[in-house]
Amino acid sequence: MIKKRLIFTLLFEKDSFFLSRNFRLQKIGNYDWLKKNYDFSVITESVDEIILLNVSRDENEIQNFCEIIKTFTKECFIPISAGGKISSLDVAKKYIQSGADKLVINSNLFKKNLLKKIANTFGEQSIVGSLDYMNINDNFIFYKKNGSTKINIKTKNIFDTLAKLPIGEIILNSIDMDGTSNGFDFSILKRIPKNFQKPIIYAGGAGNYKHLLDAFKKKEIDSISTANLLNFVGDGLQEARKQLIKKNIKLAKWI
Amino acid sequence: MKSKTVTIIDYGMGNIGSLSNAFNYLGAKVKILSDPYKIEKSNIAILPGVGSFHKAMKIIKKNSIDKAIDNIISKGDYLFCICLGMQLLASGSFEDKFTKGLGIIPNQVDKFTFKETKNKIPHVGFNQVFFEKGNKLFKGLSSGTDFYFVHSYRMLPEKMKKNISRTNYGVNFMSSLVKDNIYATQFHPEKSQSNGIKLLDNFLKITQ
Repeated sequence: MIKKRLIFTLLFEKDSFFLSRNFRLQKIGNYDWLKKNYDFSVITESVDEIILLNVSRDENEIQNFCEIIKTFTKECFIPISAGGKISSLDVAKKYIQSGADKLVINSNLFKKNLLKKIANTFGEQSIVGSLDYMNINDNFIFYKKNGSTKINIKTKNIFDTLAKLPIGEIILNSIDMDGTSNGFDFSILKRIPKNFQKPIIYAGGAGNYKHLLDAFKKKEIDSISTANLLNFVGDGLQEARKQLIKKNIKLAKWI
Repeated sequence: MKSKTVTIIDYGMGNIGSLSNAFNYLGAKVKILSDPYKIEKSNIAILPGVGSFHKAMKIIKKNSIDKAIDNIISKGDYLFCICLGMQLLASGSFEDKFTKGLGIIPNQVDKFTFKETKNKIPHVGFNQVFFEKGNKLFKGLSSGTDFYFVHSYRMLPEKMKKNISRTNYGVNFMSSLVKDNIYATQFHPEKSQSNGIKLLDNFLKITQ
């Protein structure tokens, strides 16, 4: 039986690690700081996948981020997705050559030619589409470019459009709940068509084990991503995983 | 013990870095090679791969890597194929149009359909792998251990009965096989946490 997935997302600008709240970024420290203050192996051994996002404002900042990808792939034997600034097949190649298994695409998600080029080279399963949204009284507004640019598409059309893209998975990220630790907003789930065939990664709002449990119980949600390191300090994530398995959430077990 | 040297066949398809890191972690030396004359001299070769079957076969043939693989097998040396690498062993794949494979395993490769699996495609995430006792690839692991998969195509299970593992994704499919000195997994051991590291260690120990 296929298991649900718990994913950890980390945001980087150059060599610095950031936290995000409602898409406003806060610098926390550099990679060495991260390693010194957190036993990172406990985190990587408690999650199914890692997502690394390049959130640098400098459009040309690719090289430092590739070094970050390389560092992670040396130390953890789980799938690593890399995203941010994937505006060409060339950038996609650089991320994959640095060790990424999958590519997260947000701002260029509706550029079909780019997606096709990447899918032809690395396969559709290598592309994870990422969609940020705001909920205004159950009307959903979709955004790209770190939440700064509206995408002109209606909720009732969005999932049909996503279904036709040459991508493997979708991240749905709530801008309202992002980094708040207040729990997930589940209201977009009922807009997903029953026959929607791409796995969904749900993000935005996880603050504690109970939030993860609530989300994993939803049949529409295949995976959860959290980016809030401070909520899961020490063995927080490891404990959460244990508790979820106890509560019969189908998560992978490792020897 | 002298450390073993593992050749990773680089034909431009797939994530070679993670595999290389995993074998280094297990104490092996890694050579990443694309020259068929160097590849065929390997005692232990890994055929990785992610992406299009058609494209992979085209590159493999153009660069005579198929001949290098044949030579490795006929010398009795070890070959480990992962994901698309496993599928390439087949007689052919129905991806887009029918493409001939390496023809080392008589089976064919076909796409999962939503209709038959009632599941989302691609098949992505950790899933259980069931095998019979005595399968040396899984020594020390129990049947039903979780491994990481990411694929939309799979090898059809007919014709082979022994030394394979099965995984269910709405339908049963062959998730690994052992035939003489050829080992293959549809899942990614290098992405399967400690479970996968154990499996790769088993493989290295087999290659005495």
